[in-house]
Amino acid sequence: MNSSSRSNRQSQIAPSPTEMPAAAPLPNPAAPNNTLPPAQGAGQPAIQNQTQSSVTGGPPNSGTAVPPNAPPAKPPSHVTYQISHQTEYNYSEPVAVCQNQLRMQPVTGGNLECQDTKVTIDPDPNSWDEHRDYFGNLVTTFSIESIHTALRVVVKSRVTVAAPSISESDASTQWEEALDHGQGPLCPTVAEHRYHSPRILPSETFAAYARPSFTPGRRILEGALDLTRRIHQDFAYDVTATTVDTTTEEAFQLKAGVCQDFAHVEIACLRSIGLAARYVSGYLRTTPPPGKERLIGADESHAWVELYAGEKLGWLGLDPTNACMVSTDHIPICIGRDYGDVSPMRGVVLGGGTNTLKVSVDVEPQPIR
Amino acid sequence: MLQASSFWNAPTNPASDFDERVDATGKVRAHWAMMSSELESLGTPLLHTRSRAVNQFIRDNGVTFQPAEPGHQSSQGQMNRPWRLSVIPFLFEQNEWQVLREGLIERTRLLETVLNDLLGPQRLIRERIIPGQLLWSDPTYHRAYHELDPGAQKLHVSATDLARDIDGQWKVIGDRTRAPSGLGYLLENRVVTSRVMPTLIRRTNTHRLASFFETLNDHLRLQAKSKRENPRIALLTPPSGSYREFEDTYLARYLGLLLAQGSDLAVRGGELHMKTLGGLKPIQVLWRHISDRHCDPLELNPQSVEGVTGLLRCVRRQSVAVVNTVGSVLAQAPALMAYLGKASEFFFGKSLSLPSAETYWCGDANDLSFVLQRLDEFVFRDAYMVTNNRPIVTDELDAASRDAFLAKLKSTPELYVAQRRLQFSRTPLWSGESIESRKVALRCFQLTTPSGINILPGALARAGKDELDLSRSLVSGGMTLDCWITSNRPVDQHKTLLKDSKATISIRRGGADLPSRVAEHLFWLGRYAERAESAARLLRTTLLRISGEDNWETLSDVRRLVYALASGGQIEPSYAVDSFSVNLPTVEQILPASVLDRAQARGLCRTMDSILHNAASVRDRLSIDAYRIIQRAARDLNRPVILEATGQPGQVTINEAIDRTGRLIVDLLALAGLTSESVVRTHVWQFIELGRRIERAENICDLTTTMLCPATDSGKSICEAALEVSDCLMTYRSRYINLVQLAPVIDLLITDETNPRSLQFQIDRIASLMDKLPTTEGPTGSDAILRLVSSLQFRVTTADPTKLATIAKDGRLEHLQHLLEEVADDLPKLFNQINARYLIHTESTQQLTGTER
Repeated sequence: MNSSSRSNRQSQIAPSPTEMPAAAPLPNPAAPNNTLPPAQGAGQPAIQNQTQSSVTGGPPNSGTAVPPNAPPAKPPSHVTYQISHQTEYNYSEPVAVCQNQLRMQPVTGGNLECQDTKVTIDPDPNSWDEHRDYFGNLVTTFSIESIHTALRVVVKSRVTVAAPSISESDASTQWEEALDHGQGPLCPTVAEHRYHSPRILPSETFAAYARPSFTPGRRILEGALDLTRRIHQDFAYDVTATTVDTTTEEAFQLKAGVCQDFAHVEIACLRSIGLAARYVSGYLRTTPPPGKERLIGADESHAWVELYAGEKLGWLGLDPTNACMVSTDHIPICIGRDYGDVSPMRGVVLGGGTNTLKVSVDVEPQPIR
Repeated sequence: MLQASSFWNAPTNPASDFDERVDATGKVRAHWAMMSSELESLGTPLLHTRSRAVNQFIRDNGVTFQPAEPGHQSSQGQMNRPWRLSVIPFLFEQNEWQVLREGLIERTRLLETVLNDLLGPQRLIRERIIPGQLLWSDPTYHRAYHELDPGAQKLHVSATDLARDIDGQWKVIGDRTRAPSGLGYLLENRVVTSRVMPTLIRRTNTHRLASFFETLNDHLRLQAKSKRENPRIALLTPPSGSYREFEDTYLARYLGLLLAQGSDLAVRGGELHMKTLGGLKPIQVLWRHISDRHCDPLELNPQSVEGVTGLLRCVRRQSVAVVNTVGSVLAQAPALMAYLGKASEFFFGKSLSLPSAETYWCGDANDLSFVLQRLDEFVFRDAYMVTNNRPIVTDELDAASRDAFLAKLKSTPELYVAQRRLQFSRTPLWSGESIESRKVALRCFQLTTPSGINILPGALARAGKDELDLSRSLVSGGMTLDCWITSNRPVDQHKTLLKDSKATISIRRGGADLPSRVAEHLFWLGRYAERAESAARLLRTTLLRISGEDNWETLSDVRRLVYALASGGQIEPSYAVDSFSVNLPTVEQILPASVLDRAQARGLCRTMDSILHNAASVRDRLSIDAYRIIQRAARDLNRPVILEATGQPGQVTINEAIDRTGRLIVDLLALAGLTSESVVRTHVWQFIELGRRIERAENICDLTTTMLCPATDSGKSICEAALEVSDCLMTYRSRYINLVQLAPVIDLLITDETNPRSLQFQIDRIASLMDKLPTTEGPTGSDAILRLVSSLQFRVTTADPTKLATIAKDGRLEHLQHLLEEVADDLPKLFNQINARYLIHTESTQQLTGTER
């Protein structure tokens, strides 16, 4: 169905509006022009597998020793996944009308290619629209205008994630090169991620935490990975510690939380020293590759960070929850400034009494054909 | 000349002030000559008279405002204050206006271009003309504004706040691109001044305003993307009680738009609709007067109750046109003013001919350090929000507040702008006693259409003690002036503000477009009007008996009347119990005072408050006369009591109370007559009438029970009192002369279907009204309502007045009481069903987030 959604995210962002194909969704009006650094898609060039295997640990909070003993088996150059994300609401009272927005569908771009994505809604919606939001995410808006007592939304997608690679010369970029030096044309879709957003307020507190990782002249990859690893070490993964509304400052004080909090804290740290960082929502593979531990955050939506590492490297994916660079185990769905821009579903219902919610996510790698 | 100068009473110092009327040498400016001599020839006494006429018009037209300042939230009905308009206008000379006009056109075009850029390619940010952080720090900015209506015109109605600097140059002190207020007040100012100064406004060749409003009307119509021949256009106003209430009601009525609150609207099937009694009606154009970020709780601020869930989606689907575009608020950020000059160079290669007051955005480090070295030359304002707060002037602050402010400025500099203090010019103002010279600021209005930018040839002028006073909101209670653009050539005299449409429209009847919320207010308006009349009658009858008799304590009719008053909630309920004799001595004192007693929820004053509140909420549905009557009635009733002898405030005497209730009854009858004679039989009338009939039926039951039951020996005087309260005494006497018996009295009050004051008449009316109401689906079926009405009708119709008048040995009127109890039980049920079916339209909503955390 969503043939239009399969166009390349990068091509959605890069060309000027006049170059848009007529059938495509509304062009992103804030698109950078071609002379500027490409705002690459959410899935990002990750570093070589050596780096990854050295940082991928077991569940951070498992208590028992979980040695990072995974053999550096060379990861596949690309993996195809079948994703199913099911959301079910049951209401105590009838709902007269509900209006909802979904941000659950992948779009082709960066190192991700979307072969197919399909939304099924029960009961049948009365009306249905799709559009691309400011960040290029695919948004489905629908309304159900007859009495109902349950709502079920199933999103099934098939995507291929390629393992990115970074050349040695690119990797030598110093972190200061990724700052805004106040000269030359400015790319709004990068620069806006240097400043505060509704849920992330950069401050000296975060900057002080970030500085030991970003010593003068340090390579940006090293610095970013070091910060990612430190957050993983210093923060406890604890689903009871925070809620969806916990502020980044609170999570930083608590030194605990879930992927959303970890990502918010890392973004706050990066922005506080002037770097551009954004929030990525997506999924992790559910079943680990042979010989590897299951990653935290599988079976549900996951979140991580992208750091703008300069023109050559573009956006780097960092997963502070799992202390690793993002590679073929991560499937990006949406990007934004923080969680508020990418929440998978938001809705307004009329009536409904109290509700119960069931969410399940299934991410299965497909055999190579 | 001595006389004239004391008349002008204007100590202007030409070194520090620019005087609009006289030049630096003290000579009257040419365009002020005619007005000056006219005012001088009127002299103080006649100006006083004219000024009183202005106030009278404003009161009669109900021109009020809700003070926008916080902390003014008192009980409803008391928040409104009369609008203030000086009898002397502000004068603008044609040639100077022409220059200003060009500047305004240029600036409006620039703001449209800047807005399109910020919501589009962002070249200003890419090329570093505007710091990106200025946009990204803006708390009113939502990314959802971006993909809404690319390519469409963004600004339609905008405004510019102007003041004159010491050198005589006009400078912009603020842009208003969201939903500028003041257009309605400006219109009303012109209507009033041209009635008070009809000759002068013609002789000065003042430019007319009518064509601006005509163009506005046409322009709104042309925005419709479907149904273009006769689109439905709604003016979206904030919930009742907002500072926009008067103005939006006024504009909606003047321009013939539907007035809607967010709760009147709903998105269904991806289209915007108005919820009416006749079902959902599509809206093609929405002129929104609410905040951008409150427009849609689904995609913007989820807490908003002002907007409509799903509105942005309708905009993207192009099923509705929103004026101004959602996101237009960005162009009015005070921070942006610091960069408009550079933006004009960037886009048009030339500087702005109408400059802004010198403004610095403190988020720029260099500008901040510049400003910090010259603190006292600047005032500080919020960089993004247009607030009602007085700007911060550091040399007005004590040391501690100054330090606190500077700390805030340094920690969050991006939230402040520094604006150089302007002097502002002075203009003559009628203070109420004399002419004074006051600082003045203008708000000019622009309408952008595809064929060009129209500048309204006039302005809302505001006067204040100093320039800081004038940087507050329009609705902070200051004096306003009409602004006349005068000319030495005759102007087009044919256009008047009275409506006249060239277009042929098809004949229409009915009007099922009545929003459910409006129906609810109309219903209660009818109910409260009836309640007030019935209470006033009961009070008057009682007061007349007390005042006429020396030994009224012994009269059983007074006893019953007081009992009825207590039962109806006019006085303390304890007067209804048997310790009556203990209380008797005080009845004479408390009864007159009860007319003005606000403690009783169902008392006259509180009921009048409710009438006012409901009438104000549906002002666009009532005639000006109806509204005037209501206002006058409430004002008359609440007038302070001044003792003639001493001129001091005093207590209400019996005679005064009789007088006030008598006048109130006449006013309420006038309202009822107007409703009956001037309101078309649409749903508007049906709901007023339904409220009135249900209330009257309840009152008859209550009055008859309390007055007649049980029967006593002194039946005659009691019956006569009951007839008098019900306005049936004259009818009774014409039928039966002086013979008073229970059966004919009961017939007249209960079963006589020809008497508009009988129970039977009310029930028959309710039945025929219910027949005419829409029969769309609702939570309560119309069958249930009709069954209830038929059974009521059957019971009253089949009642035999002779049987009802049967008195048992113990004096009880069993049949009568039984009937009245049944009817009194069923009436609230009927009300509840009507309420559920037609009136309740707000259901609670909740938010879904799709995550379990």
